[in-house]
Amino acid sequence: MTLSEAAMLRMQDISKIYRTDLIETHALRELSLEVRAGEFVAVSGPSGSGKTTFLNIAGLLETFDTGTYELDGRDVSRLSDDARSRIRNEKIGFIFQGFNLIPDLDIFDNVDVPLRYRRMKAPERRKRIESSLELVGLAARMKHLPSQLSGGQQQRVAIARAIAGDPALILADEPTGNLDSLMARQIMDLLEKINAMGTTVVLVTHDPELARRAERNIHIVDGVVLDPASQSHLPQPAPQVSGAAD
Amino acid sequence: MSLNIRPLLSALKRNPTGALLVALQVAITLAVLVNAAWIVHQRIEKIEQPAGINTRDTFVLVVSGSSNKFDIAAAESEDLSYLRGLAGVAAATVTNGIPLTGNGGDTGLYLHPGERGRLVEAADMSFDQQGLKTLGVSLLAGRNFRPDEIEPYTPGKQAPAAEVIVTQALARTLFPQGSALGKTVYGGTPKTIIGIVSNFMGPQLGTPPYDTVIYPTLPGQYGGYYLLVRTQPGKRDAVLHEAKHHIGAAHRYGVVQYTQTLASAKRQMHSANRNVAILLVIVTALMVAVCCLGIFGLTTFNVGSRTRQIGTHRALGARQRDVVTHFLVEGALVLAGGALLGSILALLIGNWLTAHYALPRLNLAYLLAGILALTGVGELAAWQPARRAALIPPSVATRTV
Repeated sequence: MTLSEAAMLRMQDISKIYRTDLIETHALRELSLEVRAGEFVAVSGPSGSGKTTFLNIAGLLETFDTGTYELDGRDVSRLSDDARSRIRNEKIGFIFQGFNLIPDLDIFDNVDVPLRYRRMKAPERRKRIESSLELVGLAARMKHLPSQLSGGQQQRVAIARAIAGDPALILADEPTGNLDSLMARQIMDLLEKINAMGTTVVLVTHDPELARRAERNIHIVDGVVLDPASQSHLPQPAPQVSGAAD
Repeated sequence: MSLNIRPLLSALKRNPTGALLVALQVAITLAVLVNAAWIVHQRIEKIEQPAGINTRDTFVLVVSGSSNKFDIAAAESEDLSYLRGLAGVAAATVTNGIPLTGNGGDTGLYLHPGERGRLVEAADMSFDQQGLKTLGVSLLAGRNFRPDEIEPYTPGKQAPAAEVIVTQALARTLFPQGSALGKTVYGGTPKTIIGIVSNFMGPQLGTPPYDTVIYPTLPGQYGGYYLLVRTQPGKRDAVLHEAKHHIGAAHRYGVVQYTQTLASAKRQMHSANRNVAILLVIVTALMVAVCCLGIFGLTTFNVGSRTRQIGTHRALGARQRDVVTHFLVEGALVLAGGALLGSILALLIGNWLTAHYALPRLNLAYLLAGILALTGVGELAAWQPARRAALIPPSVATRTV
């Protein structure tokens, strides 16, 4: 793979081994990949292939054993826990399969969570919360609890939370995994809209239909990226998305 | 897990049961802690207060009649003559109570005739002109009783005293602005204060320890009397043995019921105060420990049931110290709620103790110290589970099981 200068995410020879007393599991084996700024990339692979490990490392949710990782031009391979927290908060927006909303907080406060960690002033936070909830079509539900919303609405709140901090990178982990197909389409539409606004989106999914809507597919098997040249059987990007990203 | 309290309060409001129970536990613990500490303080103060009398060389012989033919006045006179002539005796008198034991009487004094105005309660003691010397009390102003002022015991119609001696503490209580000497106080009949003596502990019946009034009478009550004897240094036990033997055989209808040294009375009084203080400290420490367990349990439960939420917060940018702070602030909110309720409860209990057990009004510094102490140990109890929560990795957020 040729590494470009405008990479949002650049991993080089990343290895990750999970160890217990009895066994060692090689989750990633010298994985190298790059996502350019503004791209919409789908990362797919069978169960146990290392997709989630890739996402965790990409999102600085866990460390890796060997290799280097640059995020938005900065080497983030060996940072302190506090520094990783700050980068997660400022650069990355997470969308989880299970939505991960805080059940005791209303929608407004849920979207507010990452903004508080950034120590933003209240008026600025309010402005961002309202505009991101507006974008996902839930501005009228600010005082509702997550339990009062449908699954699709909850995921839209999670998307609002992810984009409220204006991150450079959105990492979406099976964002439609718990939704029906109609809701799933709405979520994908939303992700495409966010990507069109310039935010890099990395979507981890095992669903070929969803992967097809991405600009580019990366397939991980047994902890390594398959050579794109050998992936002719894998879903290719939808033409209209490819054209938009170029 | 931000420092802002509003989302925390909102979460507590939605799941209040556990927090309310622990807050209630904190409130009860605080109320008990503060009042127990206040009582312990009083007890320690009592232990540390000087008795003001010679306890080392003094003892009491309690004589009681075995028949209604027992002539108390004659027996008192006979025993005093014997004791005052006995080798090794420095002074002896008959009294109505035993200092430091709670065995005695108290009285109410007024500053105006007709029992009007402020009532001052005081322990009362009765003895003759040798009483002060027997106790080892110093005359600070005025004079001692004269022998002709001493009213002998008259069954059924003891003449009221016209002169009294008071302790310095009682003199100040009665007349805080000037000298009490020569002033008149009223308790049934007018009584002139003819002497002021150094402070000493009377029978200790719940009145302020040094507020004692002394009447010039030779009392006799419940068919007997108390002989108070002070010996020359080092002769107490020998004199006690001899006097007990003699007086026990001297009266046809009277017996020596028991004897007690004032040294042992003082030990018992201190021992009672010490035991109460120790018991209160143990019970309160146990309550604080149980309260801490409650806070520890609540925090541990919250951490255990919110593992995924904590991971999500970490993923969204919470640092480890943000997580610790979150749980400590949550604990502090529960503690603050409990402290608020507990303060009201502590004041109510304090007032009730003041009204019913003559305990001084609760010092608010104790309430403040109690709140700080309980909040401190409560936060320490929450620290360990909070620290454990901070170690939950952010990758928990992406786990689906």
